[in-house]
Amino acid sequence: MRILSCAISGIEKAVSHSTTDPVLAGKNSDLSQTVLTFKGVSTEPSPFFDTPLWDVSFGLLQGQLLLVRLERGRFRLPLADLAAGILEPINGSVEFLGRNWRKMTADDAATQRAKMGRVFEGQGWISFLDVSQNITLAQRHHTTRSDAQIEAEATELARLFDLPGLPHGLVAGARREDLNRAAFIRAFLGHPALIILERPTRDLMPGILPPLVNAVRAARDQGSAIIWTTSDDLIWRDRGIDATFKCTMFGARMNVDAEEK
Amino acid sequence: MNTLDQVGNYALSGYREIRYLSAITVQVLIQSVKPRYWTRAVRAEFYRQIISIGVDSAGFVFYVASAVGILVVAQALVWLQVIGQSRSLGALFVVVLIREAVPILTNFLIIGRSGTALTTELGNMRIAGEVRALDTQGLDPFIYLVMPRVLSLTISVFCLAVFFVAVSFSSGYLFSLLLSPAIADPGTFIYSISSSVTPVDIVNFLAKSIIPALFTGAICCAEGLRVETSFAEVPPATKRALSRSVRALFGISALVTLLTYA
Repeated sequence: MRILSCAISGIEKAVSHSTTDPVLAGKNSDLSQTVLTFKGVSTEPSPFFDTPLWDVSFGLLQGQLLLVRLERGRFRLPLADLAAGILEPINGSVEFLGRNWRKMTADDAATQRAKMGRVFEGQGWISFLDVSQNITLAQRHHTTRSDAQIEAEATELARLFDLPGLPHGLVAGARREDLNRAAFIRAFLGHPALIILERPTRDLMPGILPPLVNAVRAARDQGSAIIWTTSDDLIWRDRGIDATFKCTMFGARMNVDAEEK
Repeated sequence: MNTLDQVGNYALSGYREIRYLSAITVQVLIQSVKPRYWTRAVRAEFYRQIISIGVDSAGFVFYVASAVGILVVAQALVWLQVIGQSRSLGALFVVVLIREAVPILTNFLIIGRSGTALTTELGNMRIAGEVRALDTQGLDPFIYLVMPRVLSLTISVFCLAVFFVAVSFSSGYLFSLLLSPAIADPGTFIYSISSSVTPVDIVNFLAKSIIPALFTGAICCAEGLRVETSFAEVPPATKRALSRSVRALFGISALVTLLTYA
């Protein structure tokens, strides 16, 4: 069992190289800006989660991937909500793009969350919108891109994830598999700075793995940081995923198993 | 805890609730005048609510307004003629319908039809994790869910109240022609009403249509978003929203009447 000393050295390196401008770096620029930092984060037990977190620390730079293996039956972690600033820790702090969630106003926090994409552990779909509206909702709220541009990018992502096009129709009437694939479109749309994938391959293995790994690789090349939680040993052992850090949950603690890069 | 403590606690909790709801209402009005909050997504949600609350209720309001017109307007027309007080027609309609019945009835209909639906919808969204999902994507639930609903409910109630007046007078007048063909001609009928309306009546009508609707929206959204852990909490939340909205409606209407006519 090894504490995240490698991650802490990563934080120190990131702090020395980080800029004050939170704009995501382009493909060819120095990808060393810190995207997400957890410093001694602990949470209370909650009915919304299967396990709390205790004293979790890590730092993710642009282009890095944190792969987290979940314990059996404990799939709902507060990790994603903490990263998004939705949940406040009882100890420690969470910083996104160099800014502490606690010190942001509600408007600032909403603007920062626009730079995240997520595949939810639960479905996370808004029931009164159809699937395409759900997918493009954040982009239509936070950007001034035209509807045509947003839909074009979403359609391209849909094809990448083996869907014939952008799904329409109500969420309630959509097939589960199509919804799970549509969740990837929503998560990767708009080139977010941080992408959180909560057990993204459930009900879709093994066919989804190649396009997902390709999309993750492309996102990392463009500077996105990735958090990927999994309960699947196939994912954990897959070398193609090329995780920067691999951690295993033991109760409330997150322990590093290996640092691949 | 003795009786005095209970009365005191009840009064304090009532005061805190009124303060909380007033804060929501004021915040909605403040945020609504800032263009940066009216993104495409928020505008789309606002239009959807206008259609759901306002447009879809028009048929229902038409039905009730027609019935009220027949009940009130027709009877008043006939019997005022019998006692030779036809010149009091306009004043009677203004007092009965425009000052009191129409704003209250319209608010009441929308509370029952749309207010409870708002609470149920938001409560179900809370339990299903949809509100959290919106927050995670950077859509502030207050801006995306509460503001469009409160504003669309208010605008819908006002428009439907005006619609109610027009339909009730029209239906009442047409029905009264069946009862008594010697009834006043349309021009005289319209003139008697319009000459009885004073600026105070207009202020009263606006205040009684708009202010209770603002609070109804705030109450229904607040109750829906208070639901915490289980779908079983949604029906009690809906009942609370209904009773509190009705109490607010009559309380505000009485206060407005006192302030405008006392």
